[in-house]
Amino acid sequence: MNPLEKLAEQMKSDWDRRVGHDYRFWMGEGHLDDAQMWRTGAEDFASIAQGITGTSSAVALEIGCGVGRMMRAAAERFGRVIGIDVSRLAIDKARELVGPTPKMDLVVGSGVDLAPVESQSVDFVWSYAALACMPVPVIAQYLVEVKRVLKITGVARIQVYLGQEMLVHEHDTLHLRSFAPDNFAQAVSLAGFECSLCSERAISDEGSSNLGIKNCVVQLIPTSRAAASSEDIAKALLPNGESRAAKEVDPAALEAWMALNYAEALADNGEAQKAKQAVEYVVANCQSATIDTQDILSRVLSKATRGQPDGGESQSIPYNSQETMYGENLAVVQDRFPKVFSQLIAASHTDAGDISVRGTRDGAVIYVGSTCLDHAEKPQAAGEAWVRRSLLEQRITKAQKIVVIGFGAGFHLQSMIELCDKPIACCEPNISVFLKALRVRDLRPVLSKLSRLSVGEDTSSLEASTGAELLVRPQSAIMHAQYVEQAKSFFYSKRGFSELRPRIAVLGPFHGGTLPTATYTYQAFQRMGHRVRGIDVSGFNDGFMLLEQFVKNEGRQGAMRGQYVELVSQVLLETFNEKPIDILICMAQAPISAKALTELRNRGVVTVLWFVEDYLRFSYWREMAKFYDFVFTIQKGECIEKIKAAGAGEVHYLPTACDPHFHAPLDLSKEDKERWGSPFSFVGAGYHNRVQTFASMANYPFKIWGSEWPTGKPFDRLVQEESRRIKPEEYIKIFNATDVNLNLHSSSERDGVDPSGDFVNPRTFELAACGAFQLCDERLLLPELFEVGKEIITFSTREDMKEKMEYYLARPEERKVVCDRARARVLKEHSYERRMEQMLSMIYASKYETLRQREGSSPWGEMIRRAEGEPELQERCQRAMMRGEEPALDGLIADIVTGKGKLTETEQKLLFMHHVKSQIIRMRSEESGARK
Amino acid sequence: MKKRYPTKNRILLVNITRLGDMLQATPTIAGIKAENPGCHIAVLVEKQFEEVCRVIPNIDEIIGIDLNFVVRNLAREKDGINDAYDYMTQMVEELRAKNFDYCLNMSSSAYTALLLSLIGIKRNGGWTADEEGYRVIETDWARLFATSVFHQNRQYNSLNLVDVFRASADVDQHPKHLLITVEDEARKYCQTLIAEAGFTNSGPLIAVQAGASQGKRQWSPARFVKMIKILTERHNARVVLTGAGKERSIIDPIVEGCSSPNVISVAGRTSVPQLAAMLSLSDVLVTGDTGPMHISVAVGTPVVSMFLASAFGFETGPYSEGNIVLQPVIGCGPCNPNKPCSKPECHDTITPELVAHLAISRVGGDVREVSPELADPRGVIVYRSEFDSFGFCDLVPINGKSNDPFIRYRKAYRKLWLDDIGGFEVEAPRKPGALAVIGGDLQGLSDVQQCAERGQRLMEALSTYVRDTATTAPQFKKINEDISELDRLIEELGLAYGPLGALTRMFVFSKENLQGSDPLDLASQMKSIYQDLERRCEKFAAYYASV
Repeated sequence: MNPLEKLAEQMKSDWDRRVGHDYRFWMGEGHLDDAQMWRTGAEDFASIAQGITGTSSAVALEIGCGVGRMMRAAAERFGRVIGIDVSRLAIDKARELVGPTPKMDLVVGSGVDLAPVESQSVDFVWSYAALACMPVPVIAQYLVEVKRVLKITGVARIQVYLGQEMLVHEHDTLHLRSFAPDNFAQAVSLAGFECSLCSERAISDEGSSNLGIKNCVVQLIPTSRAAASSEDIAKALLPNGESRAAKEVDPAALEAWMALNYAEALADNGEAQKAKQAVEYVVANCQSATIDTQDILSRVLSKATRGQPDGGESQSIPYNSQETMYGENLAVVQDRFPKVFSQLIAASHTDAGDISVRGTRDGAVIYVGSTCLDHAEKPQAAGEAWVRRSLLEQRITKAQKIVVIGFGAGFHLQSMIELCDKPIACCEPNISVFLKALRVRDLRPVLSKLSRLSVGEDTSSLEASTGAELLVRPQSAIMHAQYVEQAKSFFYSKRGFSELRPRIAVLGPFHGGTLPTATYTYQAFQRMGHRVRGIDVSGFNDGFMLLEQFVKNEGRQGAMRGQYVELVSQVLLETFNEKPIDILICMAQAPISAKALTELRNRGVVTVLWFVEDYLRFSYWREMAKFYDFVFTIQKGECIEKIKAAGAGEVHYLPTACDPHFHAPLDLSKEDKERWGSPFSFVGAGYHNRVQTFASMANYPFKIWGSEWPTGKPFDRLVQEESRRIKPEEYIKIFNATDVNLNLHSSSERDGVDPSGDFVNPRTFELAACGAFQLCDERLLLPELFEVGKEIITFSTREDMKEKMEYYLARPEERKVVCDRARARVLKEHSYERRMEQMLSMIYASKYETLRQREGSSPWGEMIRRAEGEPELQERCQRAMMRGEEPALDGLIADIVTGKGKLTETEQKLLFMHHVKSQIIRMRSEESGARK
Repeated sequence: MKKRYPTKNRILLVNITRLGDMLQATPTIAGIKAENPGCHIAVLVEKQFEEVCRVIPNIDEIIGIDLNFVVRNLAREKDGINDAYDYMTQMVEELRAKNFDYCLNMSSSAYTALLLSLIGIKRNGGWTADEEGYRVIETDWARLFATSVFHQNRQYNSLNLVDVFRASADVDQHPKHLLITVEDEARKYCQTLIAEAGFTNSGPLIAVQAGASQGKRQWSPARFVKMIKILTERHNARVVLTGAGKERSIIDPIVEGCSSPNVISVAGRTSVPQLAAMLSLSDVLVTGDTGPMHISVAVGTPVVSMFLASAFGFETGPYSEGNIVLQPVIGCGPCNPNKPCSKPECHDTITPELVAHLAISRVGGDVREVSPELADPRGVIVYRSEFDSFGFCDLVPINGKSNDPFIRYRKAYRKLWLDDIGGFEVEAPRKPGALAVIGGDLQGLSDVQQCAERGQRLMEALSTYVRDTATTAPQFKKINEDISELDRLIEELGLAYGPLGALTRMFVFSKENLQGSDPLDLASQMKSIYQDLERRCEKFAAYYASV
């Protein structure tokens, strides 16, 4: 085996190992899910192939394609795309991920050449985050090969690091190599290329950027010169060759360090199992690592096993000096932040919990449990690095004010104040941490510069003003996850409501009980003044149902249904093409395919599923959850965990509600009362537990309304109007006309009340909103929605139900009191408008920036700004925008009606423009058609 | 002639998009100038016609509006709308600042009406819009213009639109032909073209405009070839094919088909002023109903013009004396201008031999008669253009008696309008009662007349109601419903009985143009509209009987 072959073997085994452990971490830029990996893959491809126009016959080749992260994007631009990688596991994974596609060739390469690719057959070669990890002789060999396979008109773009040379071990397949720019230019020239720089950016890693290393994309254009030998090219690239014994840059050490950091992040994220796998990976594969990983290893293990922190030495600061420092710091707090001061005084005697302090060379750092709130060893440098990195974020660059969550020992704040000239506010959720910080560090320089300070978990004290941006310390994000979520929600939802006007679409199902819910949801948004479209696909239901008549085989029926949904999805995509949206809210069973949802997400649409179903009974969330950025459920606990685990972006609890504009007390006619009324009624489908329960009620003055009930005794007498489906406008009459409405949540398993039944059905809210009296079965989530016994009366068994039926039938006054309370409660808290507010605030909390950017790029903004001197035009633009119109003339004039009073000058001008446009276009088409 | 606005000082003429329209306005422009010495005449035209307007006499100011800029920016949508809007705002402000006291807009387009409403010129001879965005046509003549071009009514009209336009602007004195200036430079250019053409014939120079604005109005290249061959081979003629560059796909095959040194094409080689010069050098122009036809008339060169498909000679025929108009007699013609035709049989009624004969005859002098053997009046009517005693252009058939069923109506309407809205003394109106003699000839007329009478009674009742404070809402509601129903009936009668269409359409336009909001005043205006209708019915019947 020659040295090159040995290197190839090394690369092969290294990468197979890594891919085998976790392809996304090692090859997918560390993304937690595939969707994100594809997204960044597409972004990176767009960046490296900027200005390269592909054609349907053009061929592109990626060297080191890994699991195909960028291949999908490339296939959209080129007729054929070849991906080559040394790792068979990577290529297998890539094939699995991208699926069969005739456009793509995924090839396992030798690792040192492009042998499977014909000479002069490729139009575009690229390599991203691949060449830099390869040993220099391999890079040289690849340059020769690129020259060979490129057409003479072709172009190569490769991503490399240029600047200070980085010495890397000769067998290292992980460390990034960096070359002196002159040497690199010389090497590619020897390989027979003209080279030029396409883009460069300083890399954010603090050590590297100090050395002046830049992440560059270099363009290579083949010249007529033949390539020199790969040895000569390698020598030009790195005149002194690679290190054979560079201990400080031991590849195994880097691999171990990376894997352990990953493990720690996973442990922090609560993914203990994966964290352990990462640790095991280190133990199994990085035994030769020369760095001391004990510290990090133990931290990971303690987190992963939720153990106690290692004791360790603490408090290197004498008590007296602590008290002096505390006094001095406190004086500044008292002076500048009196409210915080009084909070501190009130809290200073409370138990500090498991807070401890350790010394570092930069000063004391604070631990909560085993988590260090600052960097355990180099808090100053780490704090500064975090600040520098954060300041590069676009939203932060644009911010007028920065609100930092997490005070810790204040190192990062010190850097922030030094490096940023914007006002900086800080909030420390844990008051004990702040008290401790005041004792162990001289914080006067920080405290005197902060524009605002708050402590404790009250998010309302946050300053969510326009122009302010939130920065959350990673430690706080983990330790105070709920607080941070609330803070973000408070911060961005408030701003979202005041600043954003996203275009929302509500997509209902073909048919079924959720159909009205979609309408209520749409109407709620409308009443709230949102730009909303109701997408009613119920007209497609007939076709959907018709399939059963033609295709009897269940398997084929399923396949046909899938295709039908795919067709409807295409229609939806087209309608969103014509009239784009920002947020799509799908109700449960909304007919939209994974493909369409993916396409919408690629277009930047936030996808939301309001899963108003029992997750145990309907399980399609298992396949579909991953296509939604948000899933809202009517159940808590395990439901949320499982849907999260199925890949949904965020999962939140959001119970159903009522529409008080529709579900309201009615003044019924005598005929209506007679037809719809009864002492006792039930509206709903004949599920098993209802059949079992109500079968015993033949002797009651009891009416059952709804479908799917047995036809035998006693139901033949109880069930009304031939067991037909009851429309919403009918059942509110029944609710209103009945003395005691029964509300028994369905169960297909239990005979009566389901003791583990958790969610609350819409009927509960609707009955309450109608001011109708109901007896509802006990539900686990009911008490947080209604005060049981006062606002709602529940039963736990059939006997209990019958007892209460008789009791309340005899006491109309008592019923009235309960009804009034229930109605007041739902009007205040359980309307669809309230729910949509909650839903949007959760969406805004994490998508504020995305939505703001989308809105910022909407032409309406510019149009409204341009119309500043024309108040009426401006107002028209705003109104049209709010109506969800496209930024086009037709949208602007949609509400001008001629002949209904005097037209304003603005209206006349707009109509003029409209008529000019249509007439001139007509004239032109006449002219062009004159010869026909 | 009855004049609505006898004096005019600062005049805006709106002729935004078509060159032909601009040329057809030249007698009006000349007339205004002659009748209002010292007045200022501005024309508002689309930017691209600004240059052409140089050769239109009597214009003091040319204002260009860049509609392409508006459309281009609107096509961008988004802030392109702001750009278009800003441009419009600027345009409106500039036009307002010019303080026009009279405007004549004969374009029926909604956008010119809106523009004029925005500029707010108080006195109008043509179309504008009111504050609510409704179309307003102030003068009877302009309403007649709109009535005459209403497709159902076209056949019944014999007034050339040039005259209707002129009368809308109260113009009596006019040169009886269109006007265009022939520039020396352009003339020299064309003389050179002719000199360098290498003609071997030395006979008349005959211009041929083969292209047309619509395919269905396009006589076939093969027919042109045959006609030109007759001219060049039998009559020693020299032929120049005129046209725009984009018409070369029609013209080039004709030149090739003729394959003669005596046939040249200058298509695409002449600007509008140069085309005018070329036509001024020609002895006759053979053409369809085209822009060059009007230019030829304007430079004094007679035309032999074919009015095919939707073209109608009475409406837009050559406006000067002694031109020849060929109008096919065919059930479907003149057809609707907005509909295509896959089988233009009207083309077959005109033979190349006939056209060649007419062209050569017209070179020789005025043609006042054509043998029916050469042009069978059952297939095509050959007209000669001339002016009546009131200075209105007319067409007189010269190929014998035709069985054109519309002749009588046309004549009756011509007299009616000249008398009733022009105030000309056409002839003594017949006594009432003539209607009874006419019998079935004018079906529906007595119904319309009765409606008109009833309308007057309703208006009287309405006035009484308005004056009477005790009138209840249901009473008003009822009478309003009765009026709506009556008006609907009148309109339907016009649609049911074709010859009455122009009468009822005039009525509809008048009702659309009620001004003000005082109920009594409105009732009085409406009453006079019903009176107009009744009187016109009577006169129409009388004139029809006397034809």
